[in-house]
Amino acid sequence: MTQQFLRDDDLMPFVEGLMNRYPVIAPVAKRTRFVFEKLIAADDLRLDYDTTVLPPKKVFFPSRQDLIHFDQQGFSACIEPQAQVLMGVHPHDIKGIAMSDRFYSDRHFDNNYMAYRQVTYIIGSSVQQHYKYAFFGSINADKPLSGHDLFMTKIDGGYVIEVVSDKGAELLACGSFSEASPAQIAEAEAVNAAAMENCPQKLNGGSAEIREKVRAAYESPLWDEMSEDCFSCGSCNIVCPTCYCFDVQDEWNVDGASGCRFRLWDACLTSEFSEVTGPGGTENFRDKRAERYRHRYMRKAAYLNDQLGGPACTGCGRCSGACTADIANPVNVINKVLEQ
Amino acid sequence: MAKLKCAWFDFACCEGCQVELTNYGEPFVQLLEHLEPVEFREVMSEKTTGPIDVAFIEGSFTREADRRRLEEIRARAKVVVAYGSCATSGGINALKNHMDDYAGEVYGADKDRPHLNSAKALPVSAAIKVDYEVRGCPMDRDELLRIVQQVVHGTAKVYVPSYPVCVECKRRETVCRYDDGEYCLGPIARAGCGAPCPADGIPCEACRGLAEQPNQEAMVKVLVDNGKLPQQRAENLSRMFTANFRGDA
Repeated sequence: MTQQFLRDDDLMPFVEGLMNRYPVIAPVAKRTRFVFEKLIAADDLRLDYDTTVLPPKKVFFPSRQDLIHFDQQGFSACIEPQAQVLMGVHPHDIKGIAMSDRFYSDRHFDNNYMAYRQVTYIIGSSVQQHYKYAFFGSINADKPLSGHDLFMTKIDGGYVIEVVSDKGAELLACGSFSEASPAQIAEAEAVNAAAMENCPQKLNGGSAEIREKVRAAYESPLWDEMSEDCFSCGSCNIVCPTCYCFDVQDEWNVDGASGCRFRLWDACLTSEFSEVTGPGGTENFRDKRAERYRHRYMRKAAYLNDQLGGPACTGCGRCSGACTADIANPVNVINKVLEQ
Repeated sequence: MAKLKCAWFDFACCEGCQVELTNYGEPFVQLLEHLEPVEFREVMSEKTTGPIDVAFIEGSFTREADRRRLEEIRARAKVVVAYGSCATSGGINALKNHMDDYAGEVYGADKDRPHLNSAKALPVSAAIKVDYEVRGCPMDRDELLRIVQQVVHGTAKVYVPSYPVCVECKRRETVCRYDDGEYCLGPIARAGCGAPCPADGIPCEACRGLAEQPNQEAMVKVLVDNGKLPQQRAENLSRMFTANFRGDA
C-alpha cells in the first residue's frame, strides 16, 4: 500500500475532517496522565502521550457493557455499533488489540466485542515519548503489526502515513496528503526502530525461553516472596491490554419484572475471582495471594504463550505503573525467573 | 400483592442514611408501591409495636440497653436489614474502641454525665442476627434498593463485590492518587460504591470496611513510602471505618 506525507500544519484539518464524519477516540491529557477519550476539540489530541491509564480495548469493550434488556415479553440486545475512529494507537497497543481480537473471536465469537471492533477504523501512531515502565522493544518485538488501517510516524516537518488497508485509504479523503519521499519513508523507519531500541526497560529472554522457564518455576518459592505486598487489588489486570475475563450480572428493576444483564471487567488477582459455590458450599481454588500472583504470570508468559507463539504481553508497562506496592513489573519478575 | 410493612430504626448514628434514602427521589417513590412505612423518624411521627415485615436498622450497637431494643425489633421483624457504616461496622463511633478516656477527650468536664456512658461501638450483627447488610457512609441507596427489590420479589441474591476499591477506580479510569503522591486506602478498602471519592479528588477512607483478605501490613508501608504519611498516622488511618475489622481490634 502507499506511503503518504501529512505536513504538521495539515494535522489539525485532518483530525477535524475525521471528526466531521466520525466520533474520534484518541489520547488526551487527564491530570498527570493520558486517557483515550472521544475528542471534543481537535487540538485536545496528544500524539506525544507516553501511555494511557487504560488500553484502547475499552473502545470495543467498555469496563461495563450492557448485554441485554429483558422484561416479561422477552429480551433485546443493547449494542448499537456505529462507525468510529480510534486514533493514536502505539504499535504495541496495536499488537494488544490483535491479541484481544483473537481471544474474542477464535473459539467463541463474541458478538458484543466484535460488533464494535469491526466498525472501528484504527490509526496507529509512533511512540514520541516512552512510558517509564515500557519494555515493548524486548517482547513480541518480531511480531508484525496487523489489524490497523493507517499508521502515522512523526518525522521532521510532519507525519509519514502508511496506508495499511482499504478502510484506511477511505480516511485519506478527510485530509490533504502528498506522496512521501523515499527519504521520508526511511526516516520514519528509523524513528520506529529507535523507539523499539530505546525502551527504558528490557526483558532478558526470548518468547520460547520465557515460556519454558516460567512454566518450570511453578513450584518456586519466588511467588511467595514477590507477592508478600500484593493487595489482590486487580489493578494489574484491569489496566492490561490482554486481560479479557469478565463477570456477568443481572440487575432487576424495582418492578421485579424487567431488568438488564451486563458484564464487567474481572480481575483474577482478586480473591473472589476464584470463588465457586456448589451444593457443598463455597470454596476458593486460588485462596492464597501467591497462587493468584503466580497465575497471572503463568497465563501471560506460559499458557497463552503456547496459543499465541509469544507471551500475552505487549510490554506497555501499564501494570508496573498501576501497582501501588510496586511488585507487578513483569520485567523484574520474569528476569528473576530467567536467572533461575 | 400486599405491601410489606417496613420500619426504620436508628441507634448511635447521625441519621444521615435515612436522609440519603428520603433524598433518593423517584426510585424511593417507586419502592413505596411495594412498601408501607409504619415507622420512620425522619419522615413521619407514627410509631409501631406490632409485627413488621422488614426492619431497617441504622447506627451502631454501643450500649447494653441497645441490645434489648435490638432483640425486641428482631423478634417482631421477618427480615432485618442493617444499613450504613455504623450499623454494619460500628462506623466512626468505633474510633473510641481503642481509647481509654474517649469521653474525657470529647466531652471534657461533662464526661461523667450518665447519658454519655457507653461501651465499645459494634455492628448490629454483634447483638442480633442480620439478614442483609448495606455498607457505606452514607449507605449506597442503589444497593439498598436492589436488596429491597430482592426481598419484595424473591429474585436472585444481590451481588456485592468484596474486592478493593482499586478495581472500580481503574474501571472508570481515575488517575491513581498515588500517581500524584497522595494517599488513599483504596488498596484495602471494600468496593461496591463505584469509587466516587478518588474521582472527585478525595482519598478513599474505606467506609465500606475492608476488602476480602486485606493486606494491612503492605498498606502501612505504601502509606508511608508513597503517600508520605508519618508512621503512626499510617498505622491508625484505617481505624476511621474499620476499627472492628483490623488485626488489632
